[in-house]
Amino acid sequence: MTPARLCGLLALIVAGLAAAALSAVVGGDWIGAFTHPDPNAITQIRVYYSWLPRLTVALLGGAGLALAGVLMQQTLRNPLAAPTTLGVASGAQVLLLAATLFAPGLIHYGRGAIAFVGGALAVALVFALAWRRGLAPTVLVLAGLVVNLYMGALSLALILFNQEKLHGLMIWGAGSLAQNNWGDAVYLAPRLVFTGLGAGLLSRSLALLDLEEAGARNLGVSLAWLRLASLGLGVFITASIVSALGLIGFIGLAAPAIMRLAGARTLGARLIWAPIFGALLLAATDLSLQLVAGAHAALIPTGATTAALGAPLLLWLVPRLAAGRSAPRPRAAPPAPRLAAPWRMIGLCAIAMVIMTIIALFAGRGLHGWNMPFALPWSETGAWRAPRVLAAGAAGTLLALAGTIIQRVSGNPMASPEVLGVSAGTGLGLLALLWCVPGAGTPAMLAAGTAGALATLILLIVINARAGFEPEQLLLTGIAVMFAFGAVQRIVLAGNDPRTQSMLAWISGSTYYVTMNTAELIAVLGVVLIALAWPLARWLDVLPLGEPVSRALGLHVTASRLLLLVLVAVLTAAATLVVGPLSFVGLLAPHLARLTGLARARTQMAGAMAFGALLMIAADWVGREILFPMEIPAGLVATLIGGGYFMWRLRRI
Amino acid sequence: MPELTALVTFCKHHLRPGRPGVWAVAAACARLVARVGLGAGLLLLLLMAGAVGPAAADASSDASGKNTPRLATLDWGIAQNLTAMGVPPIAVGQTAGYATWVGAPPLPAKTRDLGLRAQPNLELLSQLEPDRILITEMYRAIEPKLERVAPVSTVDVYFTPGPVWHNTVAAARKLGRIAGRPEAAEALIRRTKKNIRDAAARLPANTAPLLVVQFADFRHVRIYGRGSLIQATMRRMGLENAWHGKTTRWGMAVVPLSRLAQIENGRVVVMGPVPVGVTDEIAASRLWRSLPVVGNAPVVYIPEVWSFGGLPSASRFARLVAGALRSAPASGLGWPRQPAGGS
Repeated sequence: MTPARLCGLLALIVAGLAAAALSAVVGGDWIGAFTHPDPNAITQIRVYYSWLPRLTVALLGGAGLALAGVLMQQTLRNPLAAPTTLGVASGAQVLLLAATLFAPGLIHYGRGAIAFVGGALAVALVFALAWRRGLAPTVLVLAGLVVNLYMGALSLALILFNQEKLHGLMIWGAGSLAQNNWGDAVYLAPRLVFTGLGAGLLSRSLALLDLEEAGARNLGVSLAWLRLASLGLGVFITASIVSALGLIGFIGLAAPAIMRLAGARTLGARLIWAPIFGALLLAATDLSLQLVAGAHAALIPTGATTAALGAPLLLWLVPRLAAGRSAPRPRAAPPAPRLAAPWRMIGLCAIAMVIMTIIALFAGRGLHGWNMPFALPWSETGAWRAPRVLAAGAAGTLLALAGTIIQRVSGNPMASPEVLGVSAGTGLGLLALLWCVPGAGTPAMLAAGTAGALATLILLIVINARAGFEPEQLLLTGIAVMFAFGAVQRIVLAGNDPRTQSMLAWISGSTYYVTMNTAELIAVLGVVLIALAWPLARWLDVLPLGEPVSRALGLHVTASRLLLLVLVAVLTAAATLVVGPLSFVGLLAPHLARLTGLARARTQMAGAMAFGALLMIAADWVGREILFPMEIPAGLVATLIGGGYFMWRLRRI
Repeated sequence: MPELTALVTFCKHHLRPGRPGVWAVAAACARLVARVGLGAGLLLLLLMAGAVGPAAADASSDASGKNTPRLATLDWGIAQNLTAMGVPPIAVGQTAGYATWVGAPPLPAKTRDLGLRAQPNLELLSQLEPDRILITEMYRAIEPKLERVAPVSTVDVYFTPGPVWHNTVAAARKLGRIAGRPEAAEALIRRTKKNIRDAAARLPANTAPLLVVQFADFRHVRIYGRGSLIQATMRRMGLENAWHGKTTRWGMAVVPLSRLAQIENGRVVVMGPVPVGVTDEIAASRLWRSLPVVGNAPVVYIPEVWSFGGLPSASRFARLVAGALRSAPASGLGWPRQPAGGS
C-alpha cells in the first residue's frame, strides 16, 4: 500500500467518525455551529468551543509530532528515536510539577510557558553534554536517555509525595486532548507552519546524512550545525505540542516508521507523508476514544491510550522496520580509557560496598533523631534493615550483570535490561494485579511479576526468532513493551484512583516490601546465575566484534544470543521483583565500569556488579534516611545519584 | 568563546589521565581524602547519635488517660473518626496531607507522621510501640509487615459490599469497639445524623439537584456520584444528585468540562481546593458560562471535604453546602465571579 492510499483510507475513517459524532451532537445544522454558533444553543456552543478545537489540535498535534519524529530519526540515525528522545517531555513535566508544588505563583504565567521552558532546559542540558563530541548521534541519544531517566525519577518522586495535589498535571501528563476554546489551536498552527518550512529548507542537507558521516562531511556539510538546526526544529515543535496538549506517545515514532514501510523511501517523501499520516492517526484515535469515553467513569486520556494501543502495532512493525532499514548507523560506543590494573579498582569498589553495607545496617534515624548503633533493640532497627540491604545489594548486582551482558551483545549504548522490556513486563504484571486485586499480598505480587516477565520473554523470543535475535530488533521489541508500560502507568495516574499510591510505591522501585525470605531467595538465585554467566565471558568478548568475526571465531551466533537473552531476562526479572522496574542500575553500572576503564568482559562484569551493589545499597540507605520518616524508593534514588554521576562522566568523553 | 577554548586546551594538556605524575598525585590525594573523610564521617555519625540518643528521654508516654489505647493508622478517614471520638491516633501517615485535604477535625499537634500512607516507616512504627494498627483493605499488601509491630485491624468502607452510608456508620461502630469507646462511636453517629438534619432544615426551599465537582485542572473535573459519601449525605439531606453517570469504586467520575453540557437540570457546587490558575481560566471560559447547569442558578463554592471514610466529613459537607446555598446570590453566575461564602 502506498503512503497516499494509506492516508486516504485513514482520512475516510476520520471523516466517517467525525460525521457520526457531529450528527449525534447537533443533528442538522452543523454548518451553523461551525461558523456562527447560536449562543443560546448549548449543543452548538459545545461543538464550536470544544469539539471542533479538539479535532483541530488532534490534527495539528499529530502532524507536528510526526514531523518531529522524521527529523529526529533522520538526524540521530536511530529508528528508536522519537520526538521525546532528547528529554523535552520529561523536562517539561518536572518543571511543571515543581512549579505547582513550590512556586504556584508561576502558574499564572500559563502552564504552557512553564512546560516550554522546562522542555527547552532539558534539551539544552542534553546538547551541552554532547557538544564536545560535535553532537554525535550516539552521544546525543545516550545523553537524552539519561536526562529522560533522571527527570522521570524526579517527577515520580514528586508525584509519590504529592499525589492528590498533582492530579491535574497527571491528566496533562497522559495527554488529554479536551479543549475549552480555540487557544491551543491558534497557538500551535503558526508553530507547525514554521517548523514545516524550516524542515523543507533543511531537507536537502539532511538527506546527505543517509551517507556515511565522512561522506557527508566531504560534501561540505557542517555536521554539528546541521544537527543543531534539525534537532532544534524538532524540539521546538515537540515542546510546543507537549506544553499545550501534554504527553502523546507513539505517533512521533510510528508515523515516520509506517510511512517508510509503506514506501516513502526518501526523506522528502517522509517529510510530506508522515505529518499527514500522523495527523489523521491521532484524530482517528481521539474520535474513537471520545465515542468510548461517553460511558466511562474514569478519564480515557488520548495521548497515553494511543501509546498503549499502539504498542502491539509497534511490535508488528519491529521485524519489518529492522529489515527495511537502509541507512548506515554508527554502532561503536564512545571510546573509553582503559585501566592498567582493573582488579585493584574492582577490589576498592568491593571494599566501599562492604563499608556502605555496615553504614546501611547500623546507622539510622528513629523516634528521637539519629540513634547510636546498638542503642535500640535489633528488632526495632536492624531486623527491618537487613532484608532491605540484602535485597538492594542483590538486585543491584543482578541488574548490573544483566546490563553488562546486554550492552556487550548488542553493542548499543542505549541497551539495558530495562530497555529489553522484561522489567516493563514485570511491572505490567504487578500493575494488573494491583488494579484487579488491591489487597493482594507479596506472594501474589511475586507470581504476577514473574508471569509478566515470562510473557514478555516469550514475546521477545517469538518475534525475534526469525531474525536470529538480531540485537537492534530485540531492543526495538523491548522499547515497544516499555511504551505500553509507561502508557498504562500514565492512564492509571490520570484516573486519580486511591489505589495509585500503592502502585506508585511498587513500581518506583522500593525495597520496602521485601521479606528476609525473598531477599535470601534472590541472593541465592543471584549466586547461581553469576556462576552460570561467568564462563560465558569469552562470548561477550567476541560478540561486540560483529557477526562475521564472531562466526569466523567459531561462535554459533544465534544460539549464543538466545542463551544470553534468556539469562538476561531471568536476571532482570529476579531483580525487578525486588526493586521494581524503574531502577536504572542496569544501564548505569556497566557504563560506569566501562568509563572507569574496565574494558574486558570479565572485569567489566565484576566491576559493574560491585558498582551496582554499592549504588543500590547506598541508594536504599539514603532513601530511607534523608526525608525520614518519608522513604524515597531505592530505585529512584539510584537513578538520581547514578544518573548525576553518569552525566558528569558523559560530559568528559 | 576564546577563554572557553583556552580552558578546554588547558584541561586536555594538564588533566589527561595518561600523564603519570599528575595522575599519581591526584590518585594519592583522592585516596587520602576518601580515608580521612570516611573515618571522620563515621566518627561524626557516632557523636551525633550519642548526643541525641540518650538525651531525649521517652516523652511520648501519655499521662492523660491510663486506658487510652495507643492506636496508629495509615488511613485519613479512620484518623478522622478516631479524633472525633476523642481517641486520636498517636501516629498517622502523611499528617501534612491530612491538614490540607481533610481539614476537620484537626489532629492533635503531637501526632507522629509515619511517612507515606502506602509505605509507613516501619522502624519508627515499631519504636512507637502502638497497641494496635488500623488499616483499610487498600493496605492489605503490607499487613504481614505491620503485624510484626502490633496487632492489625481492618476497618473498611469501599471494598465492603453494601451502601456507602451503611458501611461508613458500621466502620465508625467497629472503630469504637476497637478503641474501647463504643459509646463515643454511638455519640458520633447520633451527632452526625443530627448535624445533617439541622443542615437540611436550613436548606432553601426547592433546591435543584446538585452537581458536586472538584477541579482537577481547568479542563477536567471530578464529579461525586453514586457510591460516594457525598451523594449519601445529599440523599439524607433530601437533595438530588444531578450526576447519574457511572462512577468508580470511590463514587467519582473524572470528565472533561464538555461532558457537563449534557446535564440540563441542576446546580453546580464547586468543592475546594481549586488548583492555581483555574479560577482565571474558568472566569474567561465561554464554554463554562454556556453550560446549562451554570446558567440555571449561581454556582456556589465550598472548601475541601475528604470524601473517603470518615463520618465528620458528612457533617462538614452538609454544613458547608447548606451555608453556601443559603448565602448564594439569587441570580448571576456565582463562582468564580462572586466568591460565594467560603465559610
